[in-house]
Amino acid sequence: MNAIPLTWYLMLAALLFVIGLFGVLTRRHAIGALLGVELMLNAVNINLLAFWRHLHGTASAQVFVLIIITVAAAEAAVGLALILNVYRVFHTVDVDEINLMKG
Amino acid sequence: MTVPVWLIPLLPLAAFAVIGLLCLRPPREKAAPYLLILALAASLGLSLFALRQIPPGSGHEGLVYRWMVVGDLQFELGVLIDPLSGLMLAVVCLVSLLIQIYSIGYMKGEVGYGRYFAYMSLFTCSMLGLVAANNLLLTYFFWELVGLCSYLLIGFWYRRPAAASAAKKAFVVTRFGDVGLLIGILLVAQRAGTFNYLQLQWEVLPAGVLGAGVTTAAALLIFSGAVGKSAQFPLHVWLPDAMEGPTPVSALIHAATMVAAGVFLVARTYFLFAAAPAALLVVAIIGALTALMAAAIAIGQDDIKRILAYSTISQLGYMMLALGVGGYVAGLFHLTTHAFFKALLFLCAGSVIHAVHTNNIAQMGGLHSRMRLTSITCLAGALALAGIFPFAGFWSKDEILAAVFHSTLPGHYVLYGVALAVVFLTAFYMFRLWFLTFAGSPRTDVAKHAHESPAVMTGPLLILGLLAVVGGALLLRFPPAAVGLSTFLAPNAAAEGGSSAVKYGLIAASLLVALAGIGVAWRGHRRQALHAESLARSLPGLYESFRRRLYIDDAYEFFVLRILLVGSRLAAWFDRHVVNGMVDGVAWLTGRMGVGLRRVQTGQAQFYVIVILFAVLAALIVMAAAGYPFGLRMVARP
Amino acid sequence: MSPTLQYAAFFTLAALILIPALFVVVSRNIVRAALWLCACLVSVAVLFLVLGAEFLAAIQVLLYIGGIMVLLLFALLMTRRIGEPDVRVVNRQVGWALLGCAALASVLFWMLRGERWPVARVAADGSPAAMADALLRPFVLPFEVASLLLLAAMIAAIVIARQEPGE
Repeated sequence: MNAIPLTWYLMLAALLFVIGLFGVLTRRHAIGALLGVELMLNAVNINLLAFWRHLHGTASAQVFVLIIITVAAAEAAVGLALILNVYRVFHTVDVDEINLMKG
Repeated sequence: MTVPVWLIPLLPLAAFAVIGLLCLRPPREKAAPYLLILALAASLGLSLFALRQIPPGSGHEGLVYRWMVVGDLQFELGVLIDPLSGLMLAVVCLVSLLIQIYSIGYMKGEVGYGRYFAYMSLFTCSMLGLVAANNLLLTYFFWELVGLCSYLLIGFWYRRPAAASAAKKAFVVTRFGDVGLLIGILLVAQRAGTFNYLQLQWEVLPAGVLGAGVTTAAALLIFSGAVGKSAQFPLHVWLPDAMEGPTPVSALIHAATMVAAGVFLVARTYFLFAAAPAALLVVAIIGALTALMAAAIAIGQDDIKRILAYSTISQLGYMMLALGVGGYVAGLFHLTTHAFFKALLFLCAGSVIHAVHTNNIAQMGGLHSRMRLTSITCLAGALALAGIFPFAGFWSKDEILAAVFHSTLPGHYVLYGVALAVVFLTAFYMFRLWFLTFAGSPRTDVAKHAHESPAVMTGPLLILGLLAVVGGALLLRFPPAAVGLSTFLAPNAAAEGGSSAVKYGLIAASLLVALAGIGVAWRGHRRQALHAESLARSLPGLYESFRRRLYIDDAYEFFVLRILLVGSRLAAWFDRHVVNGMVDGVAWLTGRMGVGLRRVQTGQAQFYVIVILFAVLAALIVMAAAGYPFGLRMVARP
Repeated sequence: MSPTLQYAAFFTLAALILIPALFVVVSRNIVRAALWLCACLVSVAVLFLVLGAEFLAAIQVLLYIGGIMVLLLFALLMTRRIGEPDVRVVNRQVGWALLGCAALASVLFWMLRGERWPVARVAADGSPAAMADALLRPFVLPFEVASLLLLAAMIAAIVIARQEPGE
């Protein structure tokens, strides 16, 4: 698809990022916020690969994307474990209720 | 070899240090007085030797140590050795020595025996330093120190409320004078650029650096310090109350030495006064006024020490009067003789109080046969005070009267009349005291069983009694200077004018007046009419006002209670509500701000993320508006 | 392929990415949201293919969807208590969040407008061979560190999530 300018890919990634950000900011369910984070990571990946395709073409961009996916996996695992633990203590996954640091 | 004059104040200081560190408790406190006496004997010897070396009328500086230099002003520690300081050093050492010997007996068995002598050492050191200082600032330093010692010694029996408040009163009242003194000193120093007496006298004043107004103002301000320290009107009210202290303290500090510091100060800065005739007039008037007022009040008192206190105030007024009319030598001579016989009188009073355990002369009587030595020496002192030939007081008082008569001040005949009236009153109240205390028959049982004091107390009485008798000879030949006192102190002063007829006329007048005073007292004694009630009948109204100290203390009390305290209550309200309020207000404000800012800490992570988002947005917008390239303008690599 | 066709294809793909993404963030049911995310991820993988990164597209499917999403779904479905739906989906910050996100999008778009970037592409090798070569020669360190990271994450997850005896 040679006719698509780079800018469009970047705009797409930007929109995806903003949607994911909205999810992080507004979801009451803890895992809902986690899903938003995944969206944001994917937007970053799209960005990276768009630049890779249009400007540089080196291998480093691909490695970067791979590492991002790896880190996302690790983060999801640990995040879920934390949420499980929080649930055991607070008996809820409503993020609004978890405010022990208030004041 | 030159006598190290600077050592003279330091020896008692060393005694103070040793006593204060080692001898404050039994059993070592028994040694305290001997340490001080040793130091004082040495200082006395040194000062007598120094006297021989002082050329009449001139002075030089001894050890001078430059302590600090600020701009043009130098703060020095130094001694000025001239006839004035030499005389004063000898007098202070001698009187202090005798009184310390007396104190061994008087203070025996008292709690705080060691503390007493420590304070006495510090006082003597301060007084000697005051006298020997070579510059105004150093004098002021010792001036304050002397005031401190006075406070400590008046309040020696600090558990007694009367003593504590008397000490406070002394300190506060003299403070008013001290402030004036300090302002005067600073005024002089700022205009003249130096504190040093010799420089001021021989370099600054002749050069006319200080204008007439400044000189007068400075002289008056310095005099205000003397008014406070020497208990002149209106700052005299502390001295009668100061009698709460032990009697040797009253003798040393409030009769012979510290209160004389005011007179000494005027003499020391006499070159200023000589250039400001208006100030001299003020000095003379206040001196005369004080002398008359105090003598009148003394008639209405029944406490033996109070009578002597008012007598001191009156005699100090006499000295001021002398200085004011230009009688420099007369004033200082009277200071010397007064130191001797007033100390003597106080020590006699102490001896009597020791024997009958009361200060009230109405409860005494008939002590002449029971305390012969005290009675005789007290009589000598009384005669000296009254100014009867050939006792010491006669000579000095006559010098003053002559100086007043011959002075050129306007209205000096009025002053002379006042001085003569004071002679009468002095003789009267003094002999009223003597008759009521020693003559007649005892009026209480305690008086009946009184006995003479131990030798350690009567010894100094005898020595001082001797000095009261022969002290007048100092005028003619002042050992060890081998000239007469007037030549020694002021060889360049103009010789006394007037014919010998006038001279003998004046002497006769003063003698007659004094004898008249004694005569009236004698008649009153014969008629048993010297007591308070009889006097009240003979002098209706007047007597009561004398007894109430001319209502001056009442006036002060009114002023303080009604006016001063109201003001201070206002100030306290202001401090409590406005100043404290501001401080509390700051705290309250901080607290409210904290409460307000605390709401940012919601504890919810998503809130923080929103805040971060908006912060980043703001940063991006600002950067973009400033034209930051954001690295987007890249060139594609082939 | 003609440009028009390419545009149409691109927009379709974009819609396939963005619409599931929207549903991820607004869906009431958390499990449904997770499933919408899977759909979105698949479309992203297709996009990778379009961009020429074949290996990464495969990795995306295998790891992201097959690994991460499966983990999430298992966690949601197997622990019933966590999976139960809430009453309110969005919190009180909706207004501010909308504002902020719209602003961010605008800023980003504004930064991107008017950029003259080349349309043509450079030669880019997305094959597994190229990746392997990269991972084992120039980027072997990040590769090894990543494996350490995964080990640490694994241990951490076990430690944090395990149940104390008696719970």
